[in-house]
Parts: sequence; structure tokens; C-alpha cells
Amino acid sequence: MLALIEIRRRKLQFGFVTGVVGLIAYLIIMVTGLGLGLNEAAGSALLDLNGDYLAYASNSNLSVIRSKLTERDVAEVQSLSGAEEATPIGYVAAVIEFAPEESDSAAIIGVVPGSFAEPEIVEGSTIGGPNDILVDRAWVRVAGTRVGDELALPVGFATRQFTVVGIVDQGYFFFQSTMYVDISSWKELNFPGDVGQRPAASLVLLSGNDLEGMRGEGWRIVTKQDGFNNIEGVQGQQSTVDALRYMGLLIGAMVIGVFFHVITLQKVALLGILKAIGAPGSYLVFQGLLQVLIICVIGSLLAVGLALLTEATVLSSDTIPINFTNSAMTTTSISVVIAGTIGSLLAARQVASVDPIIAMQQQ
Amino acid sequence: MAVLQLRDVSKSYGQGSRRVDAVRDVSLDVDHGEVVALEGPSGSGKTTLLALAGALLSPTSGEIFLDGDNVTRYGARARTRYRRDRVGFVFQGSNMVPFLTARENLLVVGSFGGSDRSAIRHRADELLEQLDLGAVRDQIATRLSGGERQRVAIARALMRDPSLLLVDEPTASLNFELGTRVVDALLSEVHRRQKACIMVTHDDRMARLSDRIVEIRDGRILSERPLS
Ligand SMILES: Nc1ncnc2c1ncn2[C@@H]1O[C@H](COP(=O)(O)OP(=O)(O)O)[C@@H](O)[C@H]1O
Ligand SMILES: [Mg+2]
Repeated sequence: MLALIEIRRRKLQFGFVTGVVGLIAYLIIMVTGLGLGLNEAAGSALLDLNGDYLAYASNSNLSVIRSKLTERDVAEVQSLSGAEEATPIGYVAAVIEFAPEESDSAAIIGVVPGSFAEPEIVEGSTIGGPNDILVDRAWVRVAGTRVGDELALPVGFATRQFTVVGIVDQGYFFFQSTMYVDISSWKELNFPGDVGQRPAASLVLLSGNDLEGMRGEGWRIVTKQDGFNNIEGVQGQQSTVDALRYMGLLIGAMVIGVFFHVITLQKVALLGILKAIGAPGSYLVFQGLLQVLIICVIGSLLAVGLALLTEATVLSSDTIPINFTNSAMTTTSISVVIAGTIGSLLAARQVASVDPIIAMQQQ
Repeated sequence: MAVLQLRDVSKSYGQGSRRVDAVRDVSLDVDHGEVVALEGPSGSGKTTLLALAGALLSPTSGEIFLDGDNVTRYGARARTRYRRDRVGFVFQGSNMVPFLTARENLLVVGSFGGSDRSAIRHRADELLEQLDLGAVRDQIATRLSGGERQRVAIARALMRDPSLLLVDEPTASLNFELGTRVVDALLSEVHRRQKACIMVTHDDRMARLSDRIVEIRDGRILSERPLS
């Protein structure tokens, strides 16, 4: 009874702290969303691949850019007994002009047509020949490319014409939208020079069991997730985002802690009177925690509302790599409630330790 | 048998050279329907005596009985329940929860457990009428006048139908006329409901409205004079 009426009658104070908690929660949701968005931009196309494992060149330090596998490496990996399926994949970055004076870079992925590495088509058809190319929706949004359009990809100092035959929805790799070509075409794009020296693939994508950690002379196998985590920048990005989130939660806990510390100090005399007339300490502590809970829950709802609003307005343009998920909002809300409760423990102890004798001592 | 019985009760604060004997060997009985005025100069031990009777303090020695139960044997929980159910307090300073209305200040004692909600509401309304507070029942406590506040405090003290009322300087912040009205209200409730009551005051005019005056000096009872 006390908790709710107090909030109702002291709207300004409680409204203010709820607003601050809400803004902090909103910030945490934004940062979480930014983390997810950046991760997606870093390599959703890699994570979305159908297989479970990736074979890298031994000397590549798990860098897709540096990984170059020979025909022999690919054949060895493909003949592993634990591998149910194995198919080579190539990667190269290319800058493509999509309109006069307008260009953007794309991640060109070479796949074996018909293999399980070939992405699902959302529009058009699959790769049917060496001059066919699939482009991602992310590219379509920027360049306006449609099925049937021609794209000129650089080969050395010249270019080679490809025909867009299909649209896919694989997202990004290395912060570039993805495109898929026949792996034989990829070899030419990647190594325009000496035909005899061309590597066979960047990676081999595998599905199967217990392949993690296997290695040969020129290759080693890791899980797809490990491969993703080793994409340049992902780890630093992740720890920065995590640090910001924990910082946000810490600030939230402190705001609630200080607020309740102060309003408890203001109420020491009152708490003494209530205890003197028979209020159990546990009842008063519970009333305080109820207030913390109400502030955190309303603050979180406020934050989720703001986040949804942001998504519908500012972020609908799609160029900002922020990705709100329900789980990020739920996790943030729960974390804010927990942080608030922890922050208010000091105040709870203050409430519990008020001696009812003070009710008789004040003049 | 008297409602409240103090038997050779002493209370000292602190230890060694800093020891203060606030109450010394006090024996006192308070009966049904009796208001005892406790009179004495500042520092004579009046508040300490009230706190002992209300189980806010434990005596250093001696025993306290309410309705024959030995209160000095109670543990922490039993003392909280004792204060909730069997004693009504009116404090000297601020008594109210400032953000609650007069009526809510009475209802709040119902939220400490051990009571029936509708009975509590019924009793609050009854007491507000009897103490002439009907017109201000929905006023926030901070907007009440000093006299109204003290009468709300008396009503709250009576909410759980306690055996004993402990009242510390109820008229300290009031002028004589308002003070008399508050003390009159207190006396008529105590007499009608047959409670035992100790009222601390250093205003002799207020003390003379009571049934018996007990004078206290340096923690000891100096004299007792029955009135009326
Ligand atoms: N918590 C305490 N610690 C030490 N001394 C106290 C404490 N409370 C009261 N005293 C002392 O006990 C004596 C009686 O105090 P009190 O009961 O408040 O008297 P009164 O209410 O008659 O003014 C005073 O000398 C006072 O200074
Ligand atoms: Mg006093």
C-alpha cells in the first residue's frame, strides 16, 4: 500500500528517476543492437553458410583473406571420413561501378554451383554458367540492381561482364554486401595472372561430426562459429559492445542506488515511526523493493517503446547497422531489473537497520 | 489487576563513567480507564519510561507486565507484534506519513498484517467520526492543522484496539485551547474504551485534566497525586 501511494503522490521524483532508468535502458538496447548489427555486417554471410565447419590454410591464422588452399588440400579435406559433405569456397573483395561515378565494394564468394554452399535464391534463378552472378538484397538496396542487369567486375586492369541471374538474402561479409559466382570464375577474378599457380579455394565448407581441430599439412578445421569469431575486428567489436553494456548496467544500478539511498535518508524518521507502531522491517524493505521493481519495469517498457520508435523512424533507412531483436530487449529489461535491485541493496540495508526508538527521540 | 504493571524497572544508557541512569527502580500500575500524567523536567526520564512500557527499549533490570503477560521476556518479533496490537503510540514530534491522507494514515496500520481489511476500514471511519475528523479525512497529512494531526495520531493509536496508550507530550506544539481539545479527546476515548494510558507532559494545566499525576525526577518517582 505505502509503496504505490508514495509513487502516485510523489510523481515528479519517481517520474524523473524512471525516465533516467528508461534512457539508460534505451542506450543499452541501442548498444546491444549496434553490436548485433556490426556482427551481422562483419559476417552474417559466413554464419549463414549451410555447413558446420570450415577448413582454413594452416598458415592463414584463420583469416579468410589470407587463407589459400591448393587442389591437394581441398582433395584431402574432402576425403576425410567424418565429412559428410565438403565444398570449396572462394572469397575476394571487388569494387564495382553500378552507375557512372558510383561504386561500392562487394564480397565476391565463389561456390561450386549446385553444392550446399550455394545460397538460397529469393528471386530469379541459381548460377547456371561462368558469367552468372547472384547479388544480395543489401547490394540491391544500395545500387538498385535487378535480375537481368549486367555488372562489370574487375579482373586485373580490365573488367569482366557478369549477368545478375538471382537475388539472395545472405547479408554481409567483411562489411560488404555479398555476391556469388561460380568458383572457377572466382579463380580468375582473384588471380588474373598465372593460371598454373592459382589456389583452388579460400576455404572448404564442411558438414559432419567431430571435425573440429583436425589438421593436415596445409589445412586445419575449426567450427563455423570460431571462423566467424576470427574475422578481423569481430572480437574487438564484441568486447567494446559488451563493455558499453556493462557500463550502462553499472550506471543504472548506481542511479537507482543513489536515488533510493537519498529517499531512504529522507525517510529515516518516518521509518522509525512505522517500525515503532509495529511495521515489521521485512514489510518496509519489501515496499522499497516493490518501488525499485516498478521503476525498473516501467523504465524498461519506456526503453523498449523508444527503441521500437527508433526502429520505425530513424533506422528504417537501413544504412545504420543497428539490429533490434526481441531477445536483446528482453535481456536488457531483465538486466536492468537485476541491476536496479542490486543497486538498491544498500538502501534496503538502511531500511532494515532503522531503530524504532528514534520515533520517541525526535522532539 | 492493573493493565500495566512496572516492577522495580531501571534503565541505564552507556557504560562506565559515561553511564546515565535514566530510570531508577520505578514501580507503577495503570488501571483500566485511567490516564496517568507523567510530569517532570526535561531529562528526568519520562520518554525512557514510555519507551520501556512500549517495548521500544528493554529494561536494565525489573519487569513489565501488560494484562499479566511479562513483556520483558519477549523476543524481537513478539515485541514488534506487541507494539502493533497491544500498544497505541502518540509521539511528541511528527506522527504522520506525510504523503498519506488522514484516513490512509489510519489504514496503514492494517497493512502490517494480522488484521482484517474490512474491519480496519470500518474502524478507521468510526474513529474519524468520533474524533471529529470527518471533514478532513481525505486531506493529505501535511495539510492538516497541528490539532487535527494530533487527533489523527490518537485515532491511529486506537486502530488496533490496544490495552495501553502511550502518549508523549501531545500538546507540545499546540496553544492552550487546541491542546485542551486534544487532551479532552484523548481522555474521553480512554475512559469510554477503558484503556490504560500514560501521558507525558510538562504542562501542569494539561496534567490536571488527567486522573492521576506522577511526578518524576532524575529517573525516580517523586510523588503521586490522584485527581478527581
Ligand atoms: N540513547 C541515549 N543514550 C544516552 N543517554 C540517553 C539516551 N536517551 C536518553 N538519555 C539520557 O537519559 C536521561 C533521560 O532522558 P529522557 O527519557 O529523554 O528524559 P525526558 O523525556 O524526561 O526529557 C537524560 O539524562 C538523557 O540525556
Ligand atoms: Mg522526552
